[in-house]
Amino acid sequence: MPKVAIDPITRIEGHLRLEVQVDGGKVTDAWSSSTMFRGMELVLKGRDPRDAWLFTQRI
Amino acid sequence: MRAVEDALGITIPQNAQIIRNLIEGSQYVQDHVIHFYHLHALDWVDITGALKADPAGTAKLAQSISDWPNSSEAHFKGVQNRVKTFVESGQLGLFANAYWGHPAYKLPPEANLMAVAHYLEALDWQRDVIRVHAILGAKNPHPQTYLVGGMALPIDPNSQNALNADKLALMKQLLAKARVFVEKVYIPDLLAVAPFYKDWAGVGGGVGNFLAYGEFPLTPNNTERLFLPRGVILNKDLTKVLPMDHQKVSEYVTRSWYDYAGGDGKALHPWDGETAPHYTGPKPPYDSMVGDGAKYSWLKAPRYDGNAMEVGPLARMLVAYGSGVKPVVDTVNLVLKTLGVGPEALFSTLGRTAARGVETLVLAQQIESWVDALAANIKRGDLKTHNGDKWDPSKWPSEAKGFGFFEAPRGALGHWVRIKDGAIANYQCVVPSTWNGSPRDASNKRGAWEEALVGTPVTDPERPIEILRTVHSFDPCMACAVHVVDTHGREVTRIKVV
Repeated sequence: MPKVAIDPITRIEGHLRLEVQVDGGKVTDAWSSSTMFRGMELVLKGRDPRDAWLFTQRI
Repeated sequence: MRAVEDALGITIPQNAQIIRNLIEGSQYVQDHVIHFYHLHALDWVDITGALKADPAGTAKLAQSISDWPNSSEAHFKGVQNRVKTFVESGQLGLFANAYWGHPAYKLPPEANLMAVAHYLEALDWQRDVIRVHAILGAKNPHPQTYLVGGMALPIDPNSQNALNADKLALMKQLLAKARVFVEKVYIPDLLAVAPFYKDWAGVGGGVGNFLAYGEFPLTPNNTERLFLPRGVILNKDLTKVLPMDHQKVSEYVTRSWYDYAGGDGKALHPWDGETAPHYTGPKPPYDSMVGDGAKYSWLKAPRYDGNAMEVGPLARMLVAYGSGVKPVVDTVNLVLKTLGVGPEALFSTLGRTAARGVETLVLAQQIESWVDALAANIKRGDLKTHNGDKWDPSKWPSEAKGFGFFEAPRGALGHWVRIKDGAIANYQCVVPSTWNGSPRDASNKRGAWEEALVGTPVTDPERPIEILRTVHSFDPCMACAVHVVDTHGREVTRIKVV
């Protein structure tokens, strides 16, 4: 029963890791893992709310 | 933007609303076409197969599905030669990393060549579509003219430095060009390719729960009249579109690398959300990061009333279809009829990819009328684009909270803000790829694409193209869900069979 890990998945925007369990030629279980931290919420704390859109637009 | 406007009770002028709709609507059309041709098509189209095509056959095929002018034998021969030169140079560039020749590719060589030709044409075409953003937003990406209370974009029929009749006319031209490509290239291609992959209408269904915040308000800040409606569908029941209540959104961190002060077993509504990162995963290099009950992702696990939800074009089209929005119902029915399948086929990898096409067509056929609506307002003498009544913080309450909704091209995006004494006390973003790429929650419930992958066939675990098809059908944006800092350049995907 092979377990396949694809890291990173390409032709997307950003980094994604997938681990899937394959049994009898079919996926039987899957785990989606984002491998990098964003932290935008911490960047925004204490700032002028009128500036928020300029920061969040970069997400 | 909308979160702050909601918190402070600001209504934006109608012109600002229309301008935002135009920026966002043209973004959808450009983004969806780019996704189809440049991020998703190569899961279905074998470029190496295009080299074996008979250009005369490709011309015949292209002319049978559309009257798009670039469809002569000479045109396709030229494209084939370009690709051939490229392949023979040995530097495949962006085509280097793929599973060419995989038996899961089903298109005849002639169809492969047609798709490759349109892949290249779409790159040229999109440069013009995003000029709408240059006119209304000053640049793309990241338009600069947004402003709490409306838009920092003056309308003045007598100035070349403001939005005027010339610019409205140019936008109409650009949007017409956008529409024609969608009508004559994207949709015919989608309908020509789909029949070869009909088995994918039975794969990749996922959680069967769909969330749409709705988008394109037709009146200022009025969520009652949205061009694409708001709603929730549970258990694939299209007969019941439930009202959306943002209070039912909450996020778990049970399997995510964060700590909640009150314990990781309970979900928090974003107004009370916490962001305390705490990595407990393995040190690289590692084979697997998935242990029994271990945390395994930087994404939190958002849930709606406890349910894992799918967001995106399929969710929006299903909510619109279930709500009886005429252009959506007609286009969905037309696509289903052409492919000879019923509505149940929508809950699949193929359905997700088709829904994105439906949405693009419906919007491409709608947005030109929004330019006309803006022109009509201007003609009546309404030049207002900003409401500055509550710009000054002295006019704000000492405490306020707001919910801002948005339908990004790839799905429902929510911002929740708490403002205290003029500053942000808490801000939480729940983005589309956090919904779709969600890890498990406290009750071990899978996220949308985890669930969609279960049952996906894998012919060769070393070359799992089928997994890419299902994941790409969601249009993942991990750069949105996480912040990317890549100092090492491009990595080659590692496939590990353990």
